Amino acid sequence: MSARLSNRRIRLLVAVFGLLFAATLARAAWLQAVRAPGLDRIAASQQRETVTVPARRGTIYDRQGVELAVGEDATTVYANPRQVRDPRGVSAVVARDLGLDPDVVYGALSDRSRGFVYVARKVDPKAAKRLAARGIGGLGFLPEERRVYPQGRIAAAVLGYVGTDNEGLAGIELEYEEQLAGRPGEETVVRDPFGRLLDVAAASPARQGRDLTLTIDHRLQAHVEDVLRRTRAAWSAKAATAIVLDIRTGAALAMAVAPGFNANRFPDLPSGRVRNRAITDVFEPGSTFKVVTVAAVLDDRIVQPGSSFSLAPEIQVADRVIHELEDRETERLTVSEILVRSSNIGAITLALALGEDRLAWWIERFGLGQPTGIDFPGEASGIVLPRERWTGATIGNVPLGQGIAVTPIQLASIYAAIANGGTWVEPHLVERVEGGTRFEPEKRQLVVRRTARQLTRMMAGVVSEGTGTQAQVPGYTVAGKTGTAAKPDASGGYSDSRYVASFVGFAPASAPRIAILVLVDEPKSGILGGTVAAPAFAEIAGFALRYLDVPPDALLADDAAGG
Amino acid sequence: MATEPGIWHARSRRRRPQAGADVGHFLRSLDYVLLAATTGLVAYGLWVIRAITGDDVAADPSYYFVRQSIYVGVGVAALVGATLVSPDLLRRYRHVLFGATLALMIVVFVLGSAVRGSRRWIDLGSFQFQPSEIGKLALIVFVAGFLAERAKRIDQAGTVLSAIGLAMVPVLLVFFEPDFGTALVYLAATVSVLFFAGVRFGHLASLGVAAAGLAVALLWGLPAAGIQVLRPYQIDRLVGFLDPDSDPSGSTYNITQSITAVGAGGLDGRGVAGATQTNLNYLPEHATDFVFASLAEQRGFLGASILLLLYALVVWRGIKVVAVAHSLFSASVAGAIVGAFLFQIFLNVGMTIGIAPITGIPLPFISYGGSSMITSLAMIGMLQAIHARGRLAGNR
Repeated sequence: MSARLSNRRIRLLVAVFGLLFAATLARAAWLQAVRAPGLDRIAASQQRETVTVPARRGTIYDRQGVELAVGEDATTVYANPRQVRDPRGVSAVVARDLGLDPDVVYGALSDRSRGFVYVARKVDPKAAKRLAARGIGGLGFLPEERRVYPQGRIAAAVLGYVGTDNEGLAGIELEYEEQLAGRPGEETVVRDPFGRLLDVAAASPARQGRDLTLTIDHRLQAHVEDVLRRTRAAWSAKAATAIVLDIRTGAALAMAVAPGFNANRFPDLPSGRVRNRAITDVFEPGSTFKVVTVAAVLDDRIVQPGSSFSLAPEIQVADRVIHELEDRETERLTVSEILVRSSNIGAITLALALGEDRLAWWIERFGLGQPTGIDFPGEASGIVLPRERWTGATIGNVPLGQGIAVTPIQLASIYAAIANGGTWVEPHLVERVEGGTRFEPEKRQLVVRRTARQLTRMMAGVVSEGTGTQAQVPGYTVAGKTGTAAKPDASGGYSDSRYVASFVGFAPASAPRIAILVLVDEPKSGILGGTVAAPAFAEIAGFALRYLDVPPDALLADDAAGG
Repeated sequence: MATEPGIWHARSRRRRPQAGADVGHFLRSLDYVLLAATTGLVAYGLWVIRAITGDDVAADPSYYFVRQSIYVGVGVAALVGATLVSPDLLRRYRHVLFGATLALMIVVFVLGSAVRGSRRWIDLGSFQFQPSEIGKLALIVFVAGFLAERAKRIDQAGTVLSAIGLAMVPVLLVFFEPDFGTALVYLAATVSVLFFAGVRFGHLASLGVAAAGLAVALLWGLPAAGIQVLRPYQIDRLVGFLDPDSDPSGSTYNITQSITAVGAGGLDGRGVAGATQTNLNYLPEHATDFVFASLAEQRGFLGASILLLLYALVVWRGIKVVAVAHSLFSASVAGAIVGAFLFQIFLNVGMTIGIAPITGIPLPFISYGGSSMITSLAMIGMLQAIHARGRLAGNR
């Protein structure tokens, strides 16, 4: 090869070299001068991450300090599918360790279009630790808290439940979400490409959630739920509700619905089964409402308990004719007897004496048509026909508790007010929030003390000799009122087969401590409040009075018979 | 028999009084600019390695630096040795050299320790030796010698094809280790030898076309037909640089992180402490294959330019060595060495900045690793040897 040729080839090499050198330098300049700011941002952002540090959710205690809702340590397992080398093999291992379906896990891990998938939320920390020890690339572990209800079904409807992210979705968990949840903290962390934590750059600490103490007593609650369950079964009823109120404080010592549910099983619960019917549902009260009518005429001094009226077996109001529930001749009944025998004609007669305006005024004064303000989400107001829409027939049914709908908590709190010398106390479920003061209920005088005393005596008669004899509790005097209400039909009339049987009362009648409402929805083998609801009332009241160490105020039945 | 002692005698007699002058003459004929550029590169490389591996071994920030320094020491010895050995001696014993290297490579292939799925290394106690690096030299010398012997028939296609056939033995051995990057370097070195040995442009062009066809077949044709010569991950990496965003957490993760690191460096770099891509291991293989990206992240465009200029100096002096070489053989060897350097430098740097496929070739003088460092320094030594003899032979 000639030197000339050789030189030509060397020049070619120089040209190639120059070209490569220029291209490389140009590319480096492009990246490091023009694209530098953007790439710098990417470099910074991919290793810094702001993570939230969850706050511990407050514990819910009953009034005795027993845990009803607590947070339990759990571990959430997540994955970056793009970093999982062998999705099939990893799925099998993960599924075995955590007790999951391998196909479901594989479905998550094989989705390489995503950088983050949950493998399992809130699993047993021990199982997760075992899995973490295997050091499988692409898996991540996050400490979380799982809400657990140690008492299972007890007070489930009151407590409500939380969602997967521990946010309150119903009940007290929802009502006190802000206090229970606390405020999560934040941490800016630096991670390596395998997700390992290298450094915590900045942190704002979490504010832990506050604990709650309920007014509910878990033992009394358990007993009430047990009674309701048996009552509902005995009468093949659709549902049953009961409330026990401390008449002096407005504290709900028990609040139960049947059928109940186990909050630990959320979210596999049928919707509609998880409502707290005692607060969210309304019903036409029927005869239990007559107490309101009688209270009004007594407090307005229109009649005395002994005032008597001649009552025909039926009465015409506007275009309607109203009958008594039982057949009888025309007879004279005192106001007391009207209530004791639950006379429809008597109640209407008293209401007519009171007048439509005053009746409407009293209904509002008793707080009907307005929520009680109890600390529970979704409280219903009840349904009260506004005065201006009353027809001539309205005075013929509202005094009997028809054409008006109330919530169980409204009715129970009215009876509690009568027991409490006429002073209504706002019912409530939470006694104290950690770090706060005891709850101060709002109070209102509904009727004067004398009226309350008169009503108490009358209602004691209902139990001792009237429609509510099955509500008697050995050793205690009981005051109360039965209710038997046909349920409204879709047609606008009343059903002849679907009833609500109820009994509302308090004890001891001489020095009342507790008010109790029992409501049985659509009992099948009986309909009367006196036979369906009163025995349940008696059972609850008997247990509650003894449990609360209330001294007996009456001779036991055997002694009474002997004396 | 009669003349032999005379010749021997005559030589020895002539040499003895001139021995001092010969050594001085030899030393004066070395290329000191090349030596200075090489020294600069090696020193720069050690500085770079120290800075980017400070966090890699928690207990010992100097772990890689100390080892790389030892390799440099061995490499300098190799440089001195290669400078002293006459290229003609290598030419004479090229068969032995080539055969021994092939044997070593076969040993590696059979017994070598597998690291990340490929067998390239022989364990020597605490160090590992990668015969394919030193194999570069053997291949260059062998093919150059083969062609120099057939200089008169260099125009014939048969000669060219025989040379290529012989070269393909080590190429395929390395390819199936598998070490795709080194196989490419071998091919580049072989082509360089052919180029400087005087193979006709027409033949070179045909080779180019054939290579292009082979590349298309390997990357697209054969996989489509269901035949896998290259593994899928190799193909993904080779074509990934064309579209780095296609799978940034999978096959183009390396290239994405590398470009991010280079760009984040900006003009003057993020410094040693601020180079998070390197320090937090977002950049894989930051001491070896992706060392340029780490350098660019820490020292910016400024630091990267200094390195490229040092390389330019070495390549420029290397090309001068080709020009002063006193024989076709020496010129081919020097040209192949320069060609191999060029190929390695720009393929490696190109891959870290997203203009060349990911192949896993070390960056000469900079990447951490003994075999590469020693071989690169030995190649500089060979350039010096060729330069010195060319100058002594009167080629200026």
